[in-house]
Amino acid sequence: MKRLSDTVTTDAMRQFDREFADPEHRFKFVGSGALGGKAQGLAFIQNTLSSAFPSDRFPQIEVSIPSLAVLRTDVFDAFIERNKLLEVAMSDASDSFIAYRFQQAELPAEILGDLRAIVERVRTPLAVRSSSVLEDALYEPFAGVYATKMIPNNQHSADERFRKLAEAIKFVYASTYFKTAKEYVDATRNTIEEEKMGVIIQEVVGGRFNDRFYPPISGVARSFSYYRSGRSRPEEGMASLALGLGKTIVNGEPCWTYSLAHPRVPPPAASPAELVEQTQSTFWAVNMGKPPAYDPIAETEYLVNASLTEAEQDGTLRYAASTYDAHSDRISLGLGTQGPRVLTFDPLLVINEVPVNDLIKFLLALCEQATGSPVEIEFAMTFDPHRLGFLQVRPMVVATEYVQISPGEMQGGRVLVASETVQGNGVYDSIRDIVFVKPDAFQAKHSVRIAEELESVNRNIVTEGNTFVLIGFGRWGSQDPWLGVPVRWGQIAGARVIVEATLPAMVVELSQGSHFFHNLMSFRVSYFSVPHTGEFQIDWPWLDRQEIRQETQFIKHVRARKPLIVKVDGRTGRGVILTAERRKEEHCE
Amino acid sequence: MKSYNPYEIAQAQFDRIADLLKLDQAARDLLRVPTREYHFTIPVHMDDGSVQVFQGFRVQHNDARGPGKGGIRFHPLETIDTVRALAMWMTWKCAVVDVPLGGSKGGVVCDPHNLSARETEQLCRGWVRQISRDVGPHLDVPAPDIMTNPQNMLWMLDEYEAIHGGKYPGFITGKPLSVGGSQGRKEATGYGVVFTIREALKELNREPRNTTASIQGFGNVAQHAIQLYERIGGTVVCVSSWNQADQTAYSFRKASGIRYEELLAATDAFGGIDVAKARDLGYEILPGDAWLEQDVEILIPAALENQITQENAARIHPRAIVLAEGANGPTSPEADTILSERNIFILPDFLANAGGVTCSYFEQVQSNMNYYWDKDEVLGKLDTKMTAAFHAVSDLARNQKLPMRDAAYVISVSRVAQACRDRGWV
Repeated sequence: MKRLSDTVTTDAMRQFDREFADPEHRFKFVGSGALGGKAQGLAFIQNTLSSAFPSDRFPQIEVSIPSLAVLRTDVFDAFIERNKLLEVAMSDASDSFIAYRFQQAELPAEILGDLRAIVERVRTPLAVRSSSVLEDALYEPFAGVYATKMIPNNQHSADERFRKLAEAIKFVYASTYFKTAKEYVDATRNTIEEEKMGVIIQEVVGGRFNDRFYPPISGVARSFSYYRSGRSRPEEGMASLALGLGKTIVNGEPCWTYSLAHPRVPPPAASPAELVEQTQSTFWAVNMGKPPAYDPIAETEYLVNASLTEAEQDGTLRYAASTYDAHSDRISLGLGTQGPRVLTFDPLLVINEVPVNDLIKFLLALCEQATGSPVEIEFAMTFDPHRLGFLQVRPMVVATEYVQISPGEMQGGRVLVASETVQGNGVYDSIRDIVFVKPDAFQAKHSVRIAEELESVNRNIVTEGNTFVLIGFGRWGSQDPWLGVPVRWGQIAGARVIVEATLPAMVVELSQGSHFFHNLMSFRVSYFSVPHTGEFQIDWPWLDRQEIRQETQFIKHVRARKPLIVKVDGRTGRGVILTAERRKEEHCE
Repeated sequence: MKSYNPYEIAQAQFDRIADLLKLDQAARDLLRVPTREYHFTIPVHMDDGSVQVFQGFRVQHNDARGPGKGGIRFHPLETIDTVRALAMWMTWKCAVVDVPLGGSKGGVVCDPHNLSARETEQLCRGWVRQISRDVGPHLDVPAPDIMTNPQNMLWMLDEYEAIHGGKYPGFITGKPLSVGGSQGRKEATGYGVVFTIREALKELNREPRNTTASIQGFGNVAQHAIQLYERIGGTVVCVSSWNQADQTAYSFRKASGIRYEELLAATDAFGGIDVAKARDLGYEILPGDAWLEQDVEILIPAALENQITQENAARIHPRAIVLAEGANGPTSPEADTILSERNIFILPDFLANAGGVTCSYFEQVQSNMNYYWDKDEVLGKLDTKMTAAFHAVSDLARNQKLPMRDAAYVISVSRVAQACRDRGWV
């Protein structure tokens, strides 16, 4: 696998000359330090598009990166050093206190004119994104670990726009030292002192519709995926599409995930009515209307979550929606009939009105060729005229170990957990720690508190230098606390095996790891889905016999006497967690 | 030998530009002399019981583009011609950076070293009492200058507000930060010099990190110029400063690059560097004018006027490519010609050091609305204002094949003359 920075030539970028929206030179930078992972990705894309993308291949679609300026890491260093922020940053102070102190600090004088020039020339929304050095060095996904802030940048006064941009940059800098980020970096066996942050100030690809600004379609696609859907094979790749900003996909909210090789095949669902329930019903946009309450340390200060009805009023469902007919329990293509709209993206994936799927496959192949490894890409699209804003590329770490699990192994007396629906691939044989949500104490209404308790347990285990198996109920990482425990990745970053289960009192469609999919892939975390109604059950009595290391109201952390053996066959989706000893009752036989 | 008269120099400069612009006679007659002059006396009861009468001035050169703006100088050798020249230069300086202000200057013939704090306060208040009807936030806005300081400005403001019965923080700029001053004022002039150097280097296709500089002076302007120049990657190898004890200047050189913080720690309140401490820190101590002949790309005279002359211009190292005038009038016209012939890129004083007045304008705006900006905002605006001014001058110089100084004058005089015409004055 090549590092992205190794493939980028300096032709791809140029020093910021205070012209931001420059179609000839979309990638510009300020300063002289490192670019950071995300910016390297964008430079790589720019390089690849200009050197290897045949412009006549998809003549009806413009493919480009968004216009952007990167503040390189020397700007971050100067900001931290001149304002003497390291002490508070490394302290145990709360995230909000750190964010507040960073807001009080002054940005380096030498970049202020550049920032001022941006807001004086641009009146459309800007995304201010983190671009971490460790992210680049480790090939590891830091998605969702550091902050991204969207600002509408449409205030009448340039002063106001400048202030908002400065606040957003300081917030992204502060997020380097938020609790979740520190824990995440610890989990990568690095130290937060090594971390440096670039900041990307980039055009938001999209359009203004009433008081909202968003792309009619955003997406994430992976050229290789052990995430299984129907008859797809891992090497065929998967894509997820959503209406609005990509936050929907990154957050793990409902979106349309399909196999790139079989774009017409919908995700598994019991019925069209169930499919309607599973698909995206709200979307994220930048709020261009009435200013929200002032809150510079909130990532979502300028974001708005809107409904499909609002999207229909905006006229942005043209390429995304179908309509559900309750009488016939069928989904019909397009918006021609009355009824609930369903985001199936049929105009693109079934009718191929715009060859989006072909373009995604082409771009993935192009990037795979250039990096020598499977890749994940992010994009956003606007239509009429059609443009694909190529937002990100990341090389993926893919486990290639060949694992076989016999049917007998799934049933034996040493089975702690088994499942036919497992994401991941490989064998672990050194994990002794198990963290589980106590089944008798679990209630969905407590899921937020469970997340908080997990954060502390995770921290203790990571501090000891260990990893663990995590077992709980509902969709891990769900935004909706009634569907599962709403953890962020950083709160469970020490987990190497995650099990999601259901209970009679918690019957939900399991996520199969979709909320953390890329994190699972890169950290080689296996993800087991175990419905209580299925063939395989969790051996709760065995767990209760293990040595308790820590117990809270909802969580138990136990340690097995001998390491567990975790085996996952990524090709069949079969997996099993085995204990070192046989079940007690079997010994009695 | 004819004595140095800055007013005659200012008028000669104006005449030359007026010829270049083919300015009509009425505009010439209006702009080559001040619009108004105030001469007055200020009686002060001294600490010893006597009464001393001081001579005060305020000259308003032109206010077609907005309220007058200019400092108040306390100097024993102050003359009306100096104040006239400086008022005229303020008009051009405000115009070149395109802030909506005219040009003024004031002064008192006195030596503040010989005045107690109480006497100085009486002098400040007395100056305001004499002129208070003809200055103000919408008429003419004073500021500190030679030997006046933020405390003096605050006494003047207090007197003005007492006379006019209200709060008028926009009457004066250069106030202390705690009472209506602006963030960034301290840094503004020095930073402004470096903003123009940065842009000049871009035009010369040079990276700041591959350049070195030598600076005359280590006062406020020089210190902040050094700070920002280093932050954009440059290396300062030599600075000079006046030594009060020896009554001479010295240059302090370190080939590997001076360290701003350590020199600052060895500096007194007036920018004088302690020779012994500097030597201990590994600096070579050279004669005061050695700063000029250093092997560097950038020269920044940031101390006094008339420092680069026909006599010493030849000593400038062949490597020099930029001269940024942080001080007012550091280069004589003869030296100017020599430097131009050597293709040295000159950043003329009223462009290069206009960061100060630009920030004063920001202070006035903030004071008038009684709403103050943070430092990021002030310095961001300063950068874009200075950068825009540089490019306007540089574009004109390139297009019209003019020296930078002439191009800057052409822009300023044109703008002021146009404002006079638009108002129907000429």
